Amino acid sequence: MIRFVIKRLLVAIPTLWAVLTTVFILVRVVPGDPTMVILGDQASEAARAALREKLGLGKPILAQYIDFMTQVLHGDLGRSLATNRPIVDDVLAVLPWTIELTLASLVVGAVIGIPLGVLAAEKRDGFADWFARIFSLAGVSFPAFVSGILLLLAFSVELRWFPVISTAKSDDWFGRLRALVLPSINLGLLMVAYVTRVTRSGMLQALGEDYVRTARSKGLGRRLVVWRHAFPNVLVPVVTVVGLYLGVLIGNAVLTEIVFNRPGIGKLIVTALNQRDYTLLQGLMVVSAFAIVIANILTDLTYGLVDPRVKTA
Amino acid sequence: MKRLLLATAMLLVPLAAARAETVLNIGMAAADIGQIDPHRATSTQDKPVVSWVFNGLVRFKPGSASLESLEPDLAESWDKSADGKVWTFHLRKGVKFHGDWGEMTAEDVVYSFKRAGDAKTSSFAADYSVLESIEAVDPYTVKFTLKKTVPAFLGIVANYHGGNVVSKKAAEALGADFRVKPVGTGPFQVTEYKSNESLTFGANQNYFRGKPKIDRIVYRFIPADASRDLAFSSGELDVVYGRQDQRWVDRFSKEPNTVVQALKPAELSLLHINTTMKPLDDLRVRKAIAYAVDRQQLVGFKGPAVNPPAVSVVPSGYLGTDEKAELIPTDIAKAKALLAEAGYPNGLEIKVVQTSLPTMLASMQILQGQLKKAGIELKIEVVDHQSWHAQIRKDQSGLVYYAAARFPVADVYLRQFFHSDSIVGKPTAVTNFSHCANADAEIDAAAVETDVEKQKALWKTAQKKLIDEVCAVPLFEGLQVWAYKTDVDWGYKLDGAIHLGPVVTELTTKK
Repeated sequence: MIRFVIKRLLVAIPTLWAVLTTVFILVRVVPGDPTMVILGDQASEAARAALREKLGLGKPILAQYIDFMTQVLHGDLGRSLATNRPIVDDVLAVLPWTIELTLASLVVGAVIGIPLGVLAAEKRDGFADWFARIFSLAGVSFPAFVSGILLLLAFSVELRWFPVISTAKSDDWFGRLRALVLPSINLGLLMVAYVTRVTRSGMLQALGEDYVRTARSKGLGRRLVVWRHAFPNVLVPVVTVVGLYLGVLIGNAVLTEIVFNRPGIGKLIVTALNQRDYTLLQGLMVVSAFAIVIANILTDLTYGLVDPRVKTA
Repeated sequence: MKRLLLATAMLLVPLAAARAETVLNIGMAAADIGQIDPHRATSTQDKPVVSWVFNGLVRFKPGSASLESLEPDLAESWDKSADGKVWTFHLRKGVKFHGDWGEMTAEDVVYSFKRAGDAKTSSFAADYSVLESIEAVDPYTVKFTLKKTVPAFLGIVANYHGGNVVSKKAAEALGADFRVKPVGTGPFQVTEYKSNESLTFGANQNYFRGKPKIDRIVYRFIPADASRDLAFSSGELDVVYGRQDQRWVDRFSKEPNTVVQALKPAELSLLHINTTMKPLDDLRVRKAIAYAVDRQQLVGFKGPAVNPPAVSVVPSGYLGTDEKAELIPTDIAKAKALLAEAGYPNGLEIKVVQTSLPTMLASMQILQGQLKKAGIELKIEVVDHQSWHAQIRKDQSGLVYYAAARFPVADVYLRQFFHSDSIVGKPTAVTNFSHCANADAEIDAAAVETDVEKQKALWKTAQKKLIDEVCAVPLFEGLQVWAYKTDVDWGYKLDGAIHLGPVVTELTTKK
């Protein structure tokens, strides 16, 4: 198990390196630089040039690249160009918010998506099936910022159940939970859509298998047949989808975080991009890439749990 | 049932606690603060904050954006030498900096202005290059000696940009951290900063004008327009930064218990024309563009309440603006005739780079439609905002649509946009996109002219020359739009906002 994890982490190194190099090049290819943000548009070109020098942007690209890579290897993400704060501090301040949101959306996705998918497969072409299919289609195609605003209009402005500004002090657990409800439903809807679809198609296949017919002919109850015999076989594709879409979830978290005014990695990435804050952007990419690698490892480990045939050792 | 009661109780506890203090919640259209170091703060989200935390030697009367409203702030009085080059300020005694940073004295004032004049620590160094020397005569007297007279000297020692007085000890001790932990003498002080989320300010109990009535200001960063509006509608915000959009103003004016105001200073939108690029180097082509632009139609589209028509190449209401400048009228036939005369009877094509920011892009698209009527085809390349900023500074766009507000003296606007020193590409470059240099003489002469009437006449001539040479086509002005609940009492009459947002003073409160 430990050997497996180490092996996977080693394999991830070239991936991370490729991601970082691409990000490093990309952010420098786009025109614009952070001096506009730091100095404003009234500063002279000479002042801009002086600042670029001070920020180390005057160095040759290759030297900047080597500096950056050396820093990352030392576990140091450097300081933000725009604010001069240590990037690690900025990331750690928002990371719990993103993790919280992602996990809550996963839970929403699983709790709604799995039963819905199973029900849809069982009542194929019935009302429940149509509902599930339309619901999941809507979930995939509805942009997060539209569904977010609809949720806010209904539950925050009209009913006043939840706040529009989804931030709360970290020691105020109730407030924080209350602030988490709408964003996690919003982001979770996407997950519900994917999970429903995969569960439904997996269940349809499983329910048509011989062992299910055998179980039924033995006179086993519906619940036992569906949940004990058919369902476990669907778990592997469901876990795959969940693991795969964790990346998509992080991407969609950007929109959800902005609409619901939650701090988070996604929101920070947008800020960094708009400010041409190269170092912050690079740091965030390191964290995001690493998060996806970890998510993949966890997915692989989960296979072993849900399917005894898969050996991770 | 028990659980429900418990939940209700938990909901009510924070509400009860909050009622004990007066909190002003303000929503801003930004992802985060830029900087609150007053000598660095240039973005829209930074400027209002600076006005709550700092004071100048004099200040813009709260609620005003006019230089004529300047009144004593940290200085109680001042004297000026006959030639206008030596200014002596007598400071208020017993003014305390926030926290334990002690009393504000002449030493802090000297330090502040030296800091504001140093390009390494200030974005406004150029404004202070005119200072020959600044000295502390005694702890409560400061003497400024100027190299030459400047238009509206009191303006650069006011509570705006570099004129804000910082604590010497704090600035030296905090170094780079000063930008998010600023120490001033104003009615409010920063108590908590959460990046990408909010800034909280506490009342300065020792404020020299009296203890503020508001206990806390929570300044929230809400970049998504829709969410900001919803937070205001749901009552989570008392004050919200609005949109420069007539429909927004109309809609919010109908919200219950809401006041919507469009405030000066105006951000002037000009269409700068690059006079060095072919075929724009031909005055006839530039005139054709000016004749093709329909200012009234633009204003009609943008909404006259927030976007009144431009009056000159300098925003209205600035010291020295020619409020009745003769602008080129709309005349498509004349535009076509001029094009034909210049050798383009079948029209021509101009490459334009434009930002993807929605409001700015929409304006450019209207212009595209207007110019097309005269046979001028704009090929618009849309890029993200930062890329656009970089490309227009490299002469990559024939026409540059630029909206800006500056310190309300004609000199600043004319110098940054139309003086040859500011031409893009030069080391001294600022924002002269047209490459025009034909008004240098008037701009320079006006800057040192001591006779106010003569000075205004010089500025007027400069504006006429620039309009006639079609260095830029004046389009419309954009006012600062804010909405607030009727229970917010600013404590003064809100007519303007030099700091781009309402000033929260010691008298501001919630009824």
